[in-house]
Amino acid sequence: MRRFLSGITWTAVGVLGAAGFAMLALRRGETVSAAWILVAGVASYFIAHRFYARYIALKVYALDGRRATPAERLSNGRDFVPTNKWVLYGHHFAAIAGAGPLIGPTLAAQFGFLPGTLWLIVGVILGGAVQDFTILVASLRRDGKSLGQMAKEEVNPVAGMAAMVAILAIMIILLAVLALVVVNALKASPWGLFTIACTIPIALLMGWWMKVLRPGRVLEASAIGVTLLLLALVAGRGVSLDPTWSRWFTWTGPGLAWGIIVYGFAASVLPVWLLLSPRDYLSTFLKIGTVLCLAVAILILLPPLRMPALTAFTDGTGPVFAGKVFPFAFITIACGAISGFHALVASGTTPKMLMRETDAPLIGYGGMLMESFVGLMAMIAAATLDPAVYFAMNVPAATLGPDAASAARKIAEWGFTLQPGTMEALAQQMGEATLLSRTGGAPSLAVGMASILGGVMSGPGLALWYHFAIMFEALFILTTVDAGTRVGRFMLQELGGYVWKPLGRTSWYPSILLSSGLVVAGWGYFLYQGVIDPLGGINSLWPLFGIANQLLAAVALCVGTTIIIKMGRARHAWVTLVPLAWLAAVTLTAGWQKVFATDPRLGFLAHARSLVGSLNTAAPRMIMNDRLDAALALVFMGVVVVVIAASAREWWLVLSRRKAPVVHEAPFVQTAY
Amino acid sequence: MQARLLWAREGLTRALRVLRQVVGAPDYERYLEHHARCHAGTEPLGRHAFYADFVSWRFGPGPTRCC
Repeated sequence: MRRFLSGITWTAVGVLGAAGFAMLALRRGETVSAAWILVAGVASYFIAHRFYARYIALKVYALDGRRATPAERLSNGRDFVPTNKWVLYGHHFAAIAGAGPLIGPTLAAQFGFLPGTLWLIVGVILGGAVQDFTILVASLRRDGKSLGQMAKEEVNPVAGMAAMVAILAIMIILLAVLALVVVNALKASPWGLFTIACTIPIALLMGWWMKVLRPGRVLEASAIGVTLLLLALVAGRGVSLDPTWSRWFTWTGPGLAWGIIVYGFAASVLPVWLLLSPRDYLSTFLKIGTVLCLAVAILILLPPLRMPALTAFTDGTGPVFAGKVFPFAFITIACGAISGFHALVASGTTPKMLMRETDAPLIGYGGMLMESFVGLMAMIAAATLDPAVYFAMNVPAATLGPDAASAARKIAEWGFTLQPGTMEALAQQMGEATLLSRTGGAPSLAVGMASILGGVMSGPGLALWYHFAIMFEALFILTTVDAGTRVGRFMLQELGGYVWKPLGRTSWYPSILLSSGLVVAGWGYFLYQGVIDPLGGINSLWPLFGIANQLLAAVALCVGTTIIIKMGRARHAWVTLVPLAWLAAVTLTAGWQKVFATDPRLGFLAHARSLVGSLNTAAPRMIMNDRLDAALALVFMGVVVVVIAASAREWWLVLSRRKAPVVHEAPFVQTAY
Repeated sequence: MQARLLWAREGLTRALRVLRQVVGAPDYERYLEHHARCHAGTEPLGRHAFYADFVSWRFGPGPTRCC
């Protein structure tokens, strides 16, 4: 009877999901409600988790509820702590959630809402959630080893080296592109800059509170921090209206870039308890709270989607970023569908906290499904905008022209009508000087979020919601920037230690300063180039970030496939091989096009060629930058090929019995629970 | 009435403990419990020292947060 009811329920969920997809894909001309994206997505997630995750858990990894986890065996009240699975779910989700699932879908909306939505749903089910789950289980069985260590031990040292290169590269590009998003959101915005600037003294206060005044009282300090932050947010309006104050907080792009560079360096060399740790807690609370509010607001409002399902730009003429829908829709949306960076987090604190092996599907697979849901919400927020407004905000000034009139003419060429006065009125509503060509995704996401949140709670006013959204994004992006610089610094110190021993000493100040300086110089260079790029920088940097991220995902899936084959379950290895094959196709195609395409808007080298002989004084630097970006893309493609080749060799050796399959798992110990 | 207040307070303590685990905050009471269970003879770290130690390993070499 129970099985019968279960069968009926799941069939109903399936039908509902299919109906959702049908409504999204087949309706033309009439506006579709956001409800259908939610229905299609949520139904798919539940079915995938119930059937696919369970299949992987039982048949592929044979998760054993009687096997003691490292949290139980090595329990130390600190990092190895057995944690209830729902609490750990929240912890893991808070760790993987970031700016990625918000920005990617916003940019990909230029193709219409359908490609991005389909990739978010199908990609996560077959790729991203599988990857997170795989690496979580692999690390769990190896007492919390990191991805790099597993790549070296289970595959071969070549793969381990490739993993390290990939991690360092993605770190640099990721930090540059996220910092660029913040610069584009905060330039010429005194309200926004004031609020974000306030987060620094607020964090310092929290740091002192938690270290000196009331040791360890994180919740208390965070409550104070959030309150002060909201006060700063409200005060920002006054700053933007006062002529003197607003002038002090109106910075240009290059100025902001230098500000973030200096901040990133300082935050990563100062003691962790002073700035980094309080910022991390502050941004985590804000992140969780805002995502919850947005979800509830979307569920209440169910706004209609005004962006069409497919726009003409699927053919590659897109103004926000160049490239056809294949492969670039799949590169632009990384976090939310499949993200290699998650493999680093999934082999971080979470495996050491699992109470039981059988909790892993919920946390690894389910956590990523939630991230994908956040991506869906961002897609909804972007698609509820008037398409003309969406393009007016996300297309660089080099294409749109200097003012609203030229923008309206350009947008009309694409088939959308920008009513006169719309952008001015919107800017005024949001408390900004202008919203034209505010590229990077954050401002248009903020406008979308403001209309949704403001649609449910109109009290605070749209301007406050807009700046709340900007603050929320900029806050946790900047926290990623300083934490990421610190991680990059540790990696460089480790590498440096091989060259000269003292460099590897992580608390030796000269080494700290040197390695932090190098990491900051790395992302700072790309950030600065992006800021002065007339096409807005996101155009060239975001695809590089997407390629790097998916390169790391390919590394993770190679590790997963190797482990599955070595465990003697090669006939199930398709669960990681299918997404790996897709990733390889997408990443290599995208990389190839970014390097060799003849369209100067798409190919780096073509763009460089088009600038040769130009009278623009910045041209030589832009040409060099194009060549550097092309070189980077080639390096990424090379690493993908090397990793897959090195792994494939291991698979062949094991499958043809030329090599004994040695799996480096921790020994089986019966659980005491 | 007394019992109800106690129950509410118990619930609040538990909820706060869950919140701490989700955001990755240190839980000194849990450390003390663990210490009493496993290292009963020795002196546990003071609150200040515990927090300093916690922060240094939590924000150590590996990435704690994603993009």
